[in-house]
Amino acid sequence: MKVSSGGLFLATAILAGTVAVSTTSSSQAPAAPVAAARAVTRAPRPAPATTTSAPALPSKAFVDRYCVTCHNERSKTGGLALDGLDITNVASHAVEWEKVVLKLRAGLMPPAGMPRPDKATIDGFRASLEAALDHAAEGRPNPGRTEPFHRLNRTEYQNAVRDLLLLDIDASSMLPTDEVSYGFDNIAGVLKLSPLLAERYLSAAQKIARRALGTPGPVGGDLFRISDQLDQDVRLEGMPVGTRGGTLVRYLAPRDGEYVIKSRLARGLDEDIPQFLGDQHLEISVDGEQLKVFTLAGVAPDATLNVERQVYQAPKAQGERARADVNDQPAQANARGDKVLGRRSLDEDWIVRVPLTAGVHQIRATFLRKTSAVPEGFRRPFLKPYIGRGIEDARETREGASLRTLEIMGPFNPAEATESPSYRRVFTCRPAKPSEETACAKTIVSTLARRAYRRSVTDADVNVLLDFYKKGRTDGSFEQGIEFALQRLLVSPSFLFRTEFDPSPVVAAPSGQSSRSADAPPGAYRISDESLASRLSFFLWSSIPDDELLDLAIERKLSNPVVLEQQVRRMLKDQRSQALVKNFAGQWLYLRKLPDIVPDPFLFPDHGDTLRLAFERETELFFDSILRENRPALELLTANYTFINERLAAHYDIPNVRGVHFRRVTLPQDNPRRGLLGHGSVLSVTAFPNRTSPVVRGKWILDNLLGAPPPEPPPNVPALPENGDKVTKVLTMRQRVEEHRKNPACASCHKLMDPLGFALENFDAVGKYRTYDEDFQPIDSNGVYADGTKIDGVAGLRQVLVKHSDSFLINLTNKLMIYALGRGVEHYDAPAVRTILRDAARQEYRFQAFIVGIVKSAAFQTRRSES
Amino acid sequence: MIITKMALPRRTFLRGMGVCLALPLLDSMIPALTAMAKTPANPVYRYGFFYLPNGVAMNHTGVDFWKPTTTGADFEFSRILKPLEAFRDQLSVVSGLHHRSAESLGDGNGDHTRGTGTWLTGAHIKRTEGSDLRAGISADQVIAQQYGKETSLPSLELAILPNAVTGGCDTGYSCAYGTTVSWSSPTTPLPTQSSPRLVFEQLFGDGGPASQQLADLRKKNSILDSAADELASLQAKLGASDRSKVSEYLDSLREVERRIQRAEVNNAQSPLPDYERPGLGVPERFDDHVKLMFDLQCLAYQGDVTRVSSFMFGKELSARMFPEIGLSEQHHSMSHHGDNPANLEKYAKLCTWQSELFSYLLDKMRATPDGDGNLLDHSLLLYGAGLSNGNIHSHIDMPTALIGGARGFKGNRHIAAPMGTPFSNLLLSLVNHSGIESESFGDSTARFDLDDVPRPPTSKG
Repeated sequence: MKVSSGGLFLATAILAGTVAVSTTSSSQAPAAPVAAARAVTRAPRPAPATTTSAPALPSKAFVDRYCVTCHNERSKTGGLALDGLDITNVASHAVEWEKVVLKLRAGLMPPAGMPRPDKATIDGFRASLEAALDHAAEGRPNPGRTEPFHRLNRTEYQNAVRDLLLLDIDASSMLPTDEVSYGFDNIAGVLKLSPLLAERYLSAAQKIARRALGTPGPVGGDLFRISDQLDQDVRLEGMPVGTRGGTLVRYLAPRDGEYVIKSRLARGLDEDIPQFLGDQHLEISVDGEQLKVFTLAGVAPDATLNVERQVYQAPKAQGERARADVNDQPAQANARGDKVLGRRSLDEDWIVRVPLTAGVHQIRATFLRKTSAVPEGFRRPFLKPYIGRGIEDARETREGASLRTLEIMGPFNPAEATESPSYRRVFTCRPAKPSEETACAKTIVSTLARRAYRRSVTDADVNVLLDFYKKGRTDGSFEQGIEFALQRLLVSPSFLFRTEFDPSPVVAAPSGQSSRSADAPPGAYRISDESLASRLSFFLWSSIPDDELLDLAIERKLSNPVVLEQQVRRMLKDQRSQALVKNFAGQWLYLRKLPDIVPDPFLFPDHGDTLRLAFERETELFFDSILRENRPALELLTANYTFINERLAAHYDIPNVRGVHFRRVTLPQDNPRRGLLGHGSVLSVTAFPNRTSPVVRGKWILDNLLGAPPPEPPPNVPALPENGDKVTKVLTMRQRVEEHRKNPACASCHKLMDPLGFALENFDAVGKYRTYDEDFQPIDSNGVYADGTKIDGVAGLRQVLVKHSDSFLINLTNKLMIYALGRGVEHYDAPAVRTILRDAARQEYRFQAFIVGIVKSAAFQTRRSES
Repeated sequence: MIITKMALPRRTFLRGMGVCLALPLLDSMIPALTAMAKTPANPVYRYGFFYLPNGVAMNHTGVDFWKPTTTGADFEFSRILKPLEAFRDQLSVVSGLHHRSAESLGDGNGDHTRGTGTWLTGAHIKRTEGSDLRAGISADQVIAQQYGKETSLPSLELAILPNAVTGGCDTGYSCAYGTTVSWSSPTTPLPTQSSPRLVFEQLFGDGGPASQQLADLRKKNSILDSAADELASLQAKLGASDRSKVSEYLDSLREVERRIQRAEVNNAQSPLPDYERPGLGVPERFDDHVKLMFDLQCLAYQGDVTRVSSFMFGKELSARMFPEIGLSEQHHSMSHHGDNPANLEKYAKLCTWQSELFSYLLDKMRATPDGDGNLLDHSLLLYGAGLSNGNIHSHIDMPTALIGGARGFKGNRHIAAPMGTPFSNLLLSLVNHSGIESESFGDSTARFDLDDVPRPPTSKG
């Protein structure tokens, strides 16, 4: 197969033929959507021949011959009837015709087994339909209407606090979860303000204001829980060489003072600290400086250990002792004299008290690694530390002790003066004498409000905050006055909501506003530069604009297309655009589901957090590289590289990768790991805990990569028979699924989904490559795609997706658009999406072209007015 | 590395044995919270709604681990309900109900989501992912809007939900339909809480010494008042149709203001001690989490912080597994038992465990003195699911039980209603039971007689 860059250009060329890109049009300025849409109608198209003005009418004969057999008023297959629609006026039924375009583009219709014309005829019909739809939209493009009030979601709130106050908070410990629609958690329509949330915002504002300014609240602390599934037998990223496990915490000390650090070791299910071979040393350090080493005495190799733990010991004569439970052990002294029951308190006094200055400190607790290898005969049976089966199983296979929690409490005896980053950020001035206080307070709250409200502030804004400052100052210090104002600011609707208002008719006419409104489609208006800045920063950073962006907006320079594009490029270079990876890719590709994926521990004993985190990291780094290096978006499917560390390399059978850090590796031509389809993340979130599901994987590809969700299954479909149920014959997964497809009602859709999933059968439920399935039957990864293309394994699947790359790219655009606008993408957005695709084609479909395309679209820059 | 950060209480939050909370605070705290003391002559009633996701272990062809095999008094407890047998005298099972509005009615798939959305609303939810969400006001909220005015929280909505909801919602339906059973208006789903710590703060404030708490409440009150003014001025810039959406937000702020004023009054009369709080993390074990939420719920009832609550044991389509009882399959997958006896057996194990956990709450409520009896004597709790046979997404013969002794509610009955009786009839009767005189609820056709063997369903009008 050819997925080198040459193959990519080939794909581009195929596309260019169908979506009509001409080299001449690239010389035009990237102009308004209207102009671009006109360019299409002029562009060459394979068939039918095009006219220069209005596009040729799509062929009614095509519809009659290939579509209405199923899609008619009587059968309404897939809920679609085309026989009653007037093809000479597609605009009157744009919803239906866009569905037709979607299915034809992905090669899903007409389905296998039905009369089907050649590809050129299908593409020709589809192109004419698209041209007609675009032509109809040209006259009256509809930019859609975003909600006037768009609440910040939890992530955005957290980031906004970070950027406003230089303060890291964990918003998930302060606010409830956000609702999800269209696959994303930033959809304005469902981000409502309930009394519960209002109450939480109030409470959070108080905590944040205190924390930022170092006011002592109720004495408390933070507890950091390390997952039981994390492998602590190896060195972790960010830890010094010669250590293993533990944790590294970036801790914000709100104020100068003494802090207490307490470590607790992991326990077995009986809550006792297990016994280990040799002494275990835990080192505590702050900012790289060792504070203390705690030691847990080990046992000598000849001592009596619990049966499950002493893999090296001579086997018991009888099997009946082999599962002796640790709970059954009497409270007797072991070889070292520890009372067995006393083991749970061995780390009770593992406490360090340390003075810290206000600000962020790196607090580390990690085990010193023994120099010697593990004792001979002791083999680490699994990479995952625990394989417990809940209450019934207390098996334990750790090599050494693990850390369970790190607690940091304080400040004790806090100092009066305090200089944290947040404090410096807020106090842009310091009054030298009481008479300067009010003026200084005004400067402080104005600066804060401008950033928090993301616009120029009014006197009213400032006066409200000053009132609160004054109330606070009356009862306390200058700082407490500011703190109260900050508390008020953090629950301001102007902070919590992105608001967009229709211009009032009186205001709209004069000044510079009118000239900018001129290029808005009829019935719509151009949003203000300030709104544009917020749309941009929440899209790319999931946060508030920075000063540069905000200044440009307030000076009304941002809507200048050149400035706008410069800003987009700048923002994408900034680290904050990591938010696109975390929030966009994390939701689009279901990475956020990874923590919920718990494969059957007995079938997949190696799976644990170490691997799970590696999966997540790989896909994030990969997506990040496509985004930031501005690589062609299709490389998401075809790239010849990925990012792995030693653990992932072992999982992927890639040799010579050592160490915990992730690095870029080039994958040979025949490596199954090329592109997203080879990623453990994607493969494991689309599997069941005990087996793969070709149907789930197939559906995931249709939904998330091709953007052509299959129709819903008929109600009340019986589940697939599991293999344990059939004693007579072991069926392969394929045979079981095919059983399912004997029912014609099921077959019509499963014919589309299943071959995609079968192509990935060489990857098991945790994404490990295999040639035999869980029942030791050889894997058969062959199939036929809906358009008749043969698929053989993951390589073949990649080729099919590349062949339908326009479906992939349009789907990517749609998903980005939903995420950028915080609303669903509707049929009237389709012409704009096609425009973005055509513009991106001139830039080899590089990823940033899609982002810039969305930012430049009418949907992003304008808004339909009410009524 | 995965580290979960949790704020740390000064001391550990202990779970009580037998009563809502065995913390030293309680003796001093409860009188404070019950300033409007209820007396034996004037008992206060509580209504609770407990939702099981993905239906129960049953099919419609002979296997039913939920429904008792005998009817009437002294019925034989089914396997799933067995853990509740200790409450027989205050427990009645209702069978034969059908939640018709949860059926497709031309909307295609989505029975799971409709099961949740219809359960307490009796409404056919609108299929949408946009801002036009629409169900109906839920029965718990009808009751809360009547009686909630007397307590600092009108109602409490709790659930055991994953931290992030990604994908996995029914196509075409916003995930918002699936994460709550409580709707304060047909367009307003009430978000649920899964964090014990946040619930505790919602019930009892943020902590700190009493004087500090009172000062904090006053500050919050003035902030809210000012924020509401600001919101109102922003609202004025909107056109008519957008304005109504923001009105809802304004109502939310006013509601919180009311709560805070109430807390302020209570606090001033009898200050709260500086109590201990649960850690911020969510307990990792399912049973620990459920029990902690039940502790809080019981505490809220006991302190008369609220009289109405809803609780979801999980969400539909949940992928959660239960290694705690040796089940390493996902909840939703298990519910599609395919009529296979081994699968039904596994699913029955899970359902039975849920009842065991529920009995933990009932035990607590029964052990908590309240007026002339105990909490359970003065409560009526609905325990059931949005699907009956999850395997085929059925809404027929809904698993339903009522527990408690409020207003003389009688237990020890299996009321086998005529098959197909609208579930909303029962919701109507629950609303009526609370003392609200409504004639209809959702798609109800008649009242369901809670006191006697029901009449056959009659058509309305």
